Amino acid sequence: MSGESAGDGYEILSIDDLERLPTTQGSQLLLPLRRTVGFRPFGVNVWVGAQPGDHVIERHREQDGHEELYVVLRGTAQFTLGDDTFEAAPGTLVHAPPGTLREATALTAETTVLALGAKSGEAFTPSAWEDFYVAYAYARRGEPERGRAAMQAALDREPTAWQGSYNAACFEALVGETDAALEHLRRAVERDRAAVLQYAPEDTDLDSIREDPRFSEILETR
Amino acid sequence: MSVARIDELERIELPDGFVWRPIRRRFDIRGFGVNAYSALGPGSPIVEKHTESQLRHEEIYLVLRGRALFTVDGNDHELTAGQLVFVRDPSLERSAVAVDEDTVVLALGGKPGSPHEVSAWEAMFAAVPAANREDWDEAIRIHDEALAERPDHPALLYNLACMEARGGRHVDALLHLQRAVALESKWAEYARRDSDFAGIRGEPGFP
Repeated sequence: MSGESAGDGYEILSIDDLERLPTTQGSQLLLPLRRTVGFRPFGVNVWVGAQPGDHVIERHREQDGHEELYVVLRGTAQFTLGDDTFEAAPGTLVHAPPGTLREATALTAETTVLALGAKSGEAFTPSAWEDFYVAYAYARRGEPERGRAAMQAALDREPTAWQGSYNAACFEALVGETDAALEHLRRAVERDRAAVLQYAPEDTDLDSIREDPRFSEILETR
Repeated sequence: MSVARIDELERIELPDGFVWRPIRRRFDIRGFGVNAYSALGPGSPIVEKHTESQLRHEEIYLVLRGRALFTVDGNDHELTAGQLVFVRDPSLERSAVAVDEDTVVLALGGKPGSPHEVSAWEAMFAAVPAANREDWDEAIRIHDEALAERPDHPALLYNLACMEARGGRHVDALLHLQRAVALESKWAEYARRDSDFAGIRGEPGFP
C-alpha cells in the first residue's frame, strides 16, 4: 500500500492506492478498503466494474440481515433495486434494506462504487466472504501463501462454520494442494454434510480433487 | 425513497459554519453512521473541529468532490476527490476546511464492537433550522423523537429544555432540565449561563 503513513492514530490514502483484487465475475474488482485500513465498526469496501457490462455489485439480497448503502464514486452504474432499474451517476446514494434484491452493472469503464453495510442491532464482525474473496483473488494471481493467510483468518474467526472449511477446501484444490483440500473437505462434511452435498458435486473449484478416491469417500461418510 | 443524489440532501447550516448533509437520517439507516458535509465556500469549515473521545467512534472521511484541507492531530493534509483519512484513535482532534467551491466530504463513523447507536447530535443538528426560524414546536418534536429511543440522554434532555424554554413551555423545560442535571450534574453549570433559560431562571427548582 502506498498510502501516506501518518502515525498510529490515523492514516491517509487514496482509493487508487488500494489493491485491485479480481473476482470471478468478468473484470469486476474488489478494492478491500475495510481490511486495508483495519476499520472495525462496519463493512466498507470499494467495487469496480473495469469494463462496461461488468458487474460492480453482484446480484444478491443480503439474506443475513445486513442493510447497505452504495455511493457511486466514478462512472455510471445501472442499478437494480427491488423492482426498480435506474442509472446512477457519481454522487448517487442507493439504500438497500435487508432482503431487497440489488445489483449494479457498469455502463462506463472503471465504474466505482463504495459499499457500506452492517446489521442493525448487532456489533459488527467482518464477513467471512471478505476473506474468501481475497483468498481466491490471491490464488488466481499466483500468490497462494497470501491467499492462505486470508483463508486462515476466516477459519480462526469462525472455527466451527462449515463454510470456512468448505472454502478452504476449494482454495487448496485451486492451488493444487490435494491433501490439504481433502482434509478441509472432510472437516466441512463433519460440520454440515447436507450443506456440503448441496455444493460439492457441481463445484468446479473442486475439480482438481474430484477424481481422487478420497473425494467420494469423504462425501459418502455418514 | 431509497435513492438520492448528494445534491438532493438537506443542507443544514450549523452555527459553526459548516453544512450538514444528513444521509443516515434521510434513509433511516440503523446499522451504521454515514453523513456528508459541505461548506459555505472555499476557506469555510467543512468538518467540525472535534475528537471522538466520548463516542469512541472510528471515522473515515472520504472527499467525494473538490478538495479539503484536513487537520488531524495538528498535521495538515490537503485531500482531493478519491482520497480519504481514516482516524483510528478517537482522541485525535480532527477538522477540515473546504479548498474548492462545491467540496463534499463523506463521513463514516461507528464504535468498534458495539451495535450502532444513532448519535444524539443528529437530532440536535436536525433541529437547528426549526430553532433558527423559532418554530419551537418542530424543534421540540425532533428532540422528542430522538428521546423516544434514548430517554436518558442528558444532552438531548438539556437541548429539549432549551427549546421548551424558548417556546414558552416553562414547566416542561424545568422538568427536562432537572432530569438532565440529575443524570449529569455538569448541565446545571451550563444552564446558569445559557440565555435560552432567561425566562425560567427565577423559577423555583431551577438548578
